[in-house]
Amino acid sequence: MIQPGLHDDVVALAVGYGRKAAGKVGNIGVDAYPLSSFAKGKPVFAGRVVTLKKTSENYLLVSTQDHHVMEGRAIVLETTKSAFEKDPSSGIHKHQIFSIWPQHQYTKHKWALSVDLNSCTGCSACVVACQSENNVPVVGKKYVLEGREMHWIRIDRYFKGTPEAPEVAVMPLMCQHCENAPCETVCPVLATVHNDEGLNDMSYNRCVGTRYCANNCPYKVRRFNWFNYVKKREEPLHMSYNPDVTVRPRGVMEKCTFCVQRIRRGTNIAKDEKRAFKDGDVKTACQESCPADAIVFGDLNDANSKVARLFQEKRTYKLLEELNAVPRVGYMTRVRNAERAEVSGHGSEHGQPAHGPAKDEGKEDKKKHGNNVQQHEGELV
Amino acid sequence: MSSVARKPLILGSKTYKDITDDICAPVEAPATKRWFGLLLGAKALFLFYIVHIAIIIGTGMGLLGVNHPVAWGTMIITFVFWIGIGHAGTLISAILYLFRQKWRTSVARSAEAMTVFAVMTAGIFPLIHTGRPWLDFWLLPYPNQRGPLWVNFRSPLLWDVFAVSTYATVSTVFWYVGLVPDLATIRDRAKTKLRRLIYGTLSLGWRGSSRDWAHYEIVYLLLAGLSTPLVLSVHTIVSFDFAVSMLPGWHTTIFPPYFVAGAVFSGFGMVITLLTLVRIGFPKFKDYITIDHMEVMNKIIMTTGLMVGYAYGSEFFIAWYSGNHYEVYAFTNRAFGPYWWSYWIMISCNVVIPQLFWFERFRRSIPVMFVVSIFVNIGMWFERFVITVTSLHRDFLPSNWGMYAWSWFDSAILFGSFGMFLTIFLLYLKFVPAISIAEVKPVLYVGKKRPGHEGGH
Amino acid sequence: MGQRKGGIAGLWYDDHECVVAATKVREAGFKKFDAITPFPVHGMEEAVGIKRSPIPYIAFGAGATGLLAGVGLQYWTSAVSFPLNVGGKPFFSGPAFIPVMFELTILFAALSSVGALFAMCRLPKIDPPVIDPDLTSHKFALFIPEDDVGYNADRCEQLLKSLGAKEIKRLSDY
Repeated sequence: MIQPGLHDDVVALAVGYGRKAAGKVGNIGVDAYPLSSFAKGKPVFAGRVVTLKKTSENYLLVSTQDHHVMEGRAIVLETTKSAFEKDPSSGIHKHQIFSIWPQHQYTKHKWALSVDLNSCTGCSACVVACQSENNVPVVGKKYVLEGREMHWIRIDRYFKGTPEAPEVAVMPLMCQHCENAPCETVCPVLATVHNDEGLNDMSYNRCVGTRYCANNCPYKVRRFNWFNYVKKREEPLHMSYNPDVTVRPRGVMEKCTFCVQRIRRGTNIAKDEKRAFKDGDVKTACQESCPADAIVFGDLNDANSKVARLFQEKRTYKLLEELNAVPRVGYMTRVRNAERAEVSGHGSEHGQPAHGPAKDEGKEDKKKHGNNVQQHEGELV
Repeated sequence: MSSVARKPLILGSKTYKDITDDICAPVEAPATKRWFGLLLGAKALFLFYIVHIAIIIGTGMGLLGVNHPVAWGTMIITFVFWIGIGHAGTLISAILYLFRQKWRTSVARSAEAMTVFAVMTAGIFPLIHTGRPWLDFWLLPYPNQRGPLWVNFRSPLLWDVFAVSTYATVSTVFWYVGLVPDLATIRDRAKTKLRRLIYGTLSLGWRGSSRDWAHYEIVYLLLAGLSTPLVLSVHTIVSFDFAVSMLPGWHTTIFPPYFVAGAVFSGFGMVITLLTLVRIGFPKFKDYITIDHMEVMNKIIMTTGLMVGYAYGSEFFIAWYSGNHYEVYAFTNRAFGPYWWSYWIMISCNVVIPQLFWFERFRRSIPVMFVVSIFVNIGMWFERFVITVTSLHRDFLPSNWGMYAWSWFDSAILFGSFGMFLTIFLLYLKFVPAISIAEVKPVLYVGKKRPGHEGGH
Repeated sequence: MGQRKGGIAGLWYDDHECVVAATKVREAGFKKFDAITPFPVHGMEEAVGIKRSPIPYIAFGAGATGLLAGVGLQYWTSAVSFPLNVGGKPFFSGPAFIPVMFELTILFAALSSVGALFAMCRLPKIDPPVIDPDLTSHKFALFIPEDDVGYNADRCEQLLKSLGAKEIKRLSDY
């Protein structure tokens, strides 16, 4: 894959592939270790001079994300250190939103999640943890090519700046558990409704699979079981399932549940121990696995909880706030050290012209060219 | 009486008996080889369709092109396509009746039949497009022990359940009520006992008493008056499947009138296609479904085509004027993005080609109108494709952007649905009078001198 | 119209003449006679003296019932029986409930009017006697039943012939 930011004369090859005894999912790719060397008793993974030769074969590469430019939209909001010091909320454009009917009140727990984009490195540990915790199926290359990946949390990666000097912006995205969830309004059978703790519940056994909820989600975090992925799991891999979480048959929608099984476990343990629920009793899988502690889960109705304090911070914003979905996930702006001529985010969806649509992308391009070609002339906005 | 001479609605010098004989002939004569050949072809396509639906239900929705983010595809597009076609029949039967347009009488029966069969064809799709079709009955609010768990009346899909069921029921009932006197006609001419029994049962013992006709006329007027807001509301509710969502390109208030106009447009296209073929198959019908009738319907195609074209233009204008850059992007992407080809097919078929009908020569030419009507239907299918796929494939967050993964099954579903429609329509042509006998007789003397009476009626 | 009865029928071959004849028959004092035509003839209702059909009132009442049914069904299921927070919307989501209310109004009105039509015409009739099979094709009839006011078979036959009837049929069972 041709990546912005990598020098034209450099090729990067990931180690760890080309295994021989790891099964269907692990025995893929090529072993890159033979290209490494040793110096002063330490392995060296760079610097080897290689020649590339074009062959007549084509090899299909697939990716879960095809478009890497924010198109001038306020998605990953950033600011610089000096701008932040003057105004902690710099980079955020607040929208005026209002409701034409009285909102439901949440008096018991009010679950919410905070993601600090300043701490997040995009390592994807959360993606792996969520997959293991929630029995999310692995669908394989063929179905990823057709757009059928099943990740409940994903790391969106955008490039900014110029192709010669790009910057990367990453954003972990999971179900936002919106209070005015667009998905709930359109499900005809009430398979997805809002519970009194603010969670967007997904009832697998009620879902008939109209997929209207997936269409109406502006964040596109809902995943549909296009086939019976469960049936294809071979023993003894079935032992790796989390017994606290069901598996979903085909025809059923699924998505991030804020690890509702862990929430129930945490609140039940507190009840059994005859004490009040306290902050930290429940950690979602993504939170637990994040090495940077970028993800924090908790109860907004507990004023002392970490998440409640983070939501009060000026750096916190909601994604696509203007749609008035009232998400329960708060993102915190990234603060960069380097100065830049303009600060991203503010007014970006109003002032700057939209980037023209690129025609030469899309997963089916790979069939023709054999590799993923990201071609953007000029500025990456 | 008016001083402007009206064109005759029935050509040739015919009597009431001639009308009965002409229209009953295809039903009473034995089936022709041509009809059998066409029926076999349609049935083969229908069988192909059923087989593919069974495979999809047995294996999974993944066989089609739907994916993340384009979770709706051919099934919904073809659903809206067929429902839209149905609306022209109701317009001819009901709305033109309210406007006292006498020319509707010879085309109303076949148009309304087209409606009933198109709605039947369309009705399959909401049932099979779900991931678990065997649980579709959960969309009905029936009492149960699970709460009781009801349904979500705020969801446009649920409004569809009520709207499409009401439309199917009322259209079928309206069509059947119109059929009863004609079925009685066939019963009274029946030469075999079996024919007498079947048509006698279906005609419910109708004898034509004026007291019965008095009730009948009122009920026909009521049904026409009820069907008019019904047809407007049904396609409005189908448009709400899109308009009530949040997607740029879907979330727009122009959809209800735009969809209704588009439905009438595509429906009349299908009526022209079918009636040109019916006239070729039953040459006697050319005296009843005249070129004047076809010309008027082509004018309606022109009018609604211009309305649809205006809607396209105003969508673009409003997107630009709004300054909302998601909206602007949605429309520039439609015209210049990866699906630009579908957008321009839609524009050329729906806006450019029907302009041929400005010329009387083309309005009255059977080959031209047949070709134009085919393009109208192609264009209207693509309109729903453009709306569904291009809005879904690129929405708010660019990380989600993707493409629809068209597969063999998509084509099978689209073309197979025609097998279902054509099979039922061909059966209708053989067993039911394709022109409304009892409605056409009162307009026999329009534009003609009535023997023994002063002036035309 | 329930019992079968005998009477005299005159057949015309032109609808206009039949209407004129019907007016004259009514002026002659007959009240229970009927016209049988293959299509609804303009002016026949007034000529025969038929009262306006009550079906529109039935349809209106049924439509109003449908409207109330729609409101009631949605209100009870969404706000009373099992209220659920769907998208943050209020339990009784008025604007969202309108489409179903509208459709049920139309459905009830339409089905009731057709049901009333069948009831008023006493359909379905199992193989009722037919005066002439051409009456559903191109002939028009006036039928004077024997229990009508001042009925006399010969006088009626005279009257019908004088009004231009092309055929006369005496019936014992219609």
